[in-house]
Amino acid sequence: MLNLPRWQVIAIILVTGLAGLFALPNALPGGLLDVLPAWYTQSRINLGLDLRGGAYFLLEADLRGVLNERLTNLSDSVRGELRKQQVGFKDVTVQGGSSVTVVLRDEAQRAKAIEAIRTIDPSLAVSGQDDTIRLAFSDQELFRKKKEVIDQSIEILRRRVDETGTIEPTIVRQGDDRIELQMPGIKDTTELKRKINQTAKLTFHLVNEDVAQTGQNLPASLPPTTFLAPTREGMQALRAANPKAYEDIQSANPRLTPEQVCRRYQPQCLPVFKRVVVGGEDLDDAKSTFESQQGGRPIISFTFNSAGGRAFCNATRTNIGKRLAIQLDGEIISAPVVQSAICGGSGIITGQFTTQQTQEQALLLRSGALPATLTIIEERTVGADLGADAIRSGTVAALVGTVLVVIFMLAVYGPLFGGFASIAMMVNMLLVFAGMSILGASLTLPGIAGLVLTVGMSVDSNVLIYERVREEKANGRSPFSSLAEGYGRALTAVIDSNLTGLIAGVILFGFGSGPIRGFATTLTLGLLTHLFTATIFTRMLLAAWVRWRRPTDLPI
Amino acid sequence: MLWRPHHLIRAKTNFDFLGKRRLAVVLSTAINILALVGVAVFGLNFGIDFEGGIAIQVRAKEGTIHLDDLRATVGNLGVGEVALQEFGDSRTALIRVQRQEGNAACVAHADRVMKKRADAGWSVKPSGPATGGDVEFTSPGPLDAVGWRDAVSRVGLTIQERQLPRANTNTATIEMTHDQRAEWCQQVAIKLVEDTIGGKYELRGTESVGPKIGAELMQHGIYAVLATLGAICLYVWVRFEWQFGVGALVALLHDVISTLGLFVLLRLDFSLTALAALLTIAGYSINDTVVIFDRVRENMRRYKKMSLIDLLNLSVNETLARTIMTSGTVFVAVAALVLFGGPVLYSFSVAMLWGIIVGTYSSIWVASGMLVYLKLRPDQLREKDKDEAASAKA
Repeated sequence: MLNLPRWQVIAIILVTGLAGLFALPNALPGGLLDVLPAWYTQSRINLGLDLRGGAYFLLEADLRGVLNERLTNLSDSVRGELRKQQVGFKDVTVQGGSSVTVVLRDEAQRAKAIEAIRTIDPSLAVSGQDDTIRLAFSDQELFRKKKEVIDQSIEILRRRVDETGTIEPTIVRQGDDRIELQMPGIKDTTELKRKINQTAKLTFHLVNEDVAQTGQNLPASLPPTTFLAPTREGMQALRAANPKAYEDIQSANPRLTPEQVCRRYQPQCLPVFKRVVVGGEDLDDAKSTFESQQGGRPIISFTFNSAGGRAFCNATRTNIGKRLAIQLDGEIISAPVVQSAICGGSGIITGQFTTQQTQEQALLLRSGALPATLTIIEERTVGADLGADAIRSGTVAALVGTVLVVIFMLAVYGPLFGGFASIAMMVNMLLVFAGMSILGASLTLPGIAGLVLTVGMSVDSNVLIYERVREEKANGRSPFSSLAEGYGRALTAVIDSNLTGLIAGVILFGFGSGPIRGFATTLTLGLLTHLFTATIFTRMLLAAWVRWRRPTDLPI
Repeated sequence: MLWRPHHLIRAKTNFDFLGKRRLAVVLSTAINILALVGVAVFGLNFGIDFEGGIAIQVRAKEGTIHLDDLRATVGNLGVGEVALQEFGDSRTALIRVQRQEGNAACVAHADRVMKKRADAGWSVKPSGPATGGDVEFTSPGPLDAVGWRDAVSRVGLTIQERQLPRANTNTATIEMTHDQRAEWCQQVAIKLVEDTIGGKYELRGTESVGPKIGAELMQHGIYAVLATLGAICLYVWVRFEWQFGVGALVALLHDVISTLGLFVLLRLDFSLTALAALLTIAGYSINDTVVIFDRVRENMRRYKKMSLIDLLNLSVNETLARTIMTSGTVFVAVAALVLFGGPVLYSFSVAMLWGIIVGTYSSIWVASGMLVYLKLRPDQLREKDKDEAASAKA
C-alpha cells in the first residue's frame, strides 16, 4: 500500500513543523532574538572555533607531581607522629613516587607504629613486613584526589580567564588528567597564558589587636607595620547597599589597595600586620568536613606543605588567643581566633558555620594556587578573518553542491520525482539544523563538509526507491502498484546501505574532538534523519499526487 | 511538462562484468601493492595532528608571499625541519615546523625570545642533569612572584605558582621533566617564528600539537579505522552469509589501501580530516556493495539453476543504474567541496572524490568477484533465507 494512515501523515507534518520551529532561531536577526523568550532562542547552533575564531588549549595536569608532593607531606607527618609516640625509626622515605617506606629500629614496635600512622590517615593502604612498613594511598583515595585536582584546576582556570566575563570560555575535563579550554574570539594567546598563570593572591596575616577599633569607625592612624583590609562580608554589604561604589572598586585602574578601599568606601575593615605569616602557595588542601565530636558541626580542615606547616606552627604557637586573618585578593575572607598551636601541617577552623559556608570557604582557600602544573600539550588558534574565510568557502561549497545535486535529480527523474526528492533533501537539512540546535552542537568547517555529503547521500535513498519503481514499471505494473512495490522492496536496501555509514559516523564521533566531531555530528544526524525524509516523507508526497492526478503513466 | 526524465542507462544492460574479473584482480592487486609499497617507501605525509609539530598560517602584509625567502628565514632558525606550501592563494602560506625536542637548542631559543620580548638583560639556560628538563631563568633585576609570573608567560610557560621564587630574586630554576620541557618547546618555537617573521607577515592561525598528543591521536586513529572495518564486516556478515562478509571486507581494504596510495601519490596532507575521509569512505563504499549483495541474494532465491557468474552479472546489471546514480549524486556534491571548499578541506575532499570512484569500482568487481572465488552457492543460503525465498516464490 502506498497510502499512509492519517495519523502518520499528521505526525510527518508535525515533525517537519517542529523542525522548522527549532531551526528558526538560527536564521533570525539579532533584534528579533532579543524580543523572543530566552528558552526558545537559546537552543541555537554554535559556530565552532575554526569558523568563529578563537583559541583552543588542551592542558595536562601533572598528577605525578601532585602525588609526589602529597607523599612527601605524608612522610613528614609520619616522622612527626612516630616521634610523638616515641617509636624509633631508622628511615622514612618516599619510594618511586607511589609509596612511603618506614624502616623501624625495633620490629616489636610495628603494631604501635601502624596504629600511630593510622591516626594520620585511616584510609592508607599498609603493607610490608618485619621492620618495614610500606604506606600507599588506596585506589579510591587516589581516584578521589585526581578528580579533586582536576575539578579544582578547572574552577581556578575559570576564575582566572573569565575575570572580565565578556567571553564565555568552555572549560571541561578531558579523560583522566586533562582539561580542554576553549576561548572564542581570543587572538592574543600570550595574554591568555598570562591569565592562566595569574594566581589569586592568598595570604595569612595576624590581626593587629592593639589598634583600637570601635564599631564602624576606622582608626585614624596606623603603625607602619599594619594596614587595613576590607572583610568579605563588609564588601558584600557594601555591594548590596551601594552597587555603584562596588563597581567603581572593581573597575578601578590601577587597582585600589585594600587600605584605599577602606578609607574611601568604609566597608567593614580589619587592621592586619603587613608581614605574611604564610602564603596560599603553601596551602595544599582545604576541605569542608564535620567535627568528630561535639555534635559534628561543619568545619573547614586545611593542610599545609612542610614549609607552610613550619611557618604556621611558629606563628600560631606565639599568638594563641589572637586572630589570624586570611586574605584573598585584597579581601579578608575570615579571621578565626587561634585556639592552640597548630603544628604538623594541618588544622581546622571551627565556628557557627553552615555546610554551605564551610564549602564556600574551603573553595576560596583552595582557589589560591593551581594544585598541579598544567602543561599545554595542544594549542590551536584561529584568527577571526581566517574563520570568516572558512565560513565563506564552506557556504559556497554547500550551496553549489546542493544546486548540483538538485539539477542532477531533476534531470534524471524529471520535475516531479526529482522535485520531490529535492524537497525531501531540503527538509532533511532542516531536520539536521533542528537536531543540532536541540543538541547545542557546534558547526565546524568539517561539519559543513559533512552537510554537503549529507546532501548527496540523502537523495541516494530516493535513487534506490525510484530505480526500483522504474524496474517495476518496466515489468508492466500499474503506476500505483509500481510505486507501492518500489517503496516496499527498496526499504531493506535503503536501511542496509545506510547503517554502515552510521557505524563509521558513530566511531568517528567517539574518536574525534573539536572539528572532526563536528563532521561526525552532521553526517550521523543527516543519515539518521534522511531515513525519515527519503522514505516516508517522499512517499507521503507521492501518495497525495497519485490521489490527486490518478496517473495512467508515471513520469519517471 | 518542461522536460522528460532522462534515463542514464537506457535499456536493460547486459555487460559481462564478471567475465573481466581476472583483469580486475590483476588491476586491483597491482594498485594495492603499489599503494602499500608507496606507503612503505615514501610514507604518508602526516600532518601535525599525528606527528606533532607546529603549523602556522601566514599572510603577507603586502604583495605576494615569497616561499623561498620565507623558507630560508624560518629554516635558519634552528627549529628543525620546516616545510612550506602556498595555502589557498598567493598571499597565504602554511608553515610547518617539526615536532620540537626538549633539547638545549630549544632553551637557547627561549633565551632569544626572552631577550627580545622582555629585556636584553634576561638569560635562560638549562639547569641540572642533562636527562632532566630544569631551566634556569635569570632576570636583569630582582622580581617578586608576580613579576616572575608575567615574565615566564612571555615564553609561553604555564607553571604552578609553587615553582616560582617567593622573595625578590634574580634567578629562578623551574623544575620540569624532559617531557614537559619538550611540550613547552613547542610554545617557544611558535614565539620564535612569530618574532622572526611577524614584521612582514600577519599570522592568521596557529596550531601546535605536542609530542604526546600526536602519538596518542595516531594510536586512536588506527583503532578507529580497525574498529570501523571490523564493525562494518560484522554487520554484513550478520545480515548476509559469511561469503558476503569476506567480499565486503576485501572490497573495504581495497578502498582504504588505494586511498592511502592516493595520499602518497599526490603528497596530500594526512591529517585528522583525512582520517575522517578514510572512515567515511569505508562507510560509504560499502553502500553500493550492499545494494548489489541484496540483489544477488534475491536473485539466488529466484533463479536456483542459474550459474553463479551469470547470476552475479544479472544482479550487477540490474542494479547498475542505481549504483551509478547514487555515486553520481555524492560525486557532484563532493566535487563542489573540492572546487569551493577552500584549502583546509582540500585533502579531505580529494580523498572522498577518489573514494567514491574506487568504491563504485570495487563494489562491482572486487566485492562481487570475491563471491566467485569463495564459490557461493544457493544451497548455502541460511534456513531462514530459504524459507523467505520459498514464500516469495509462492
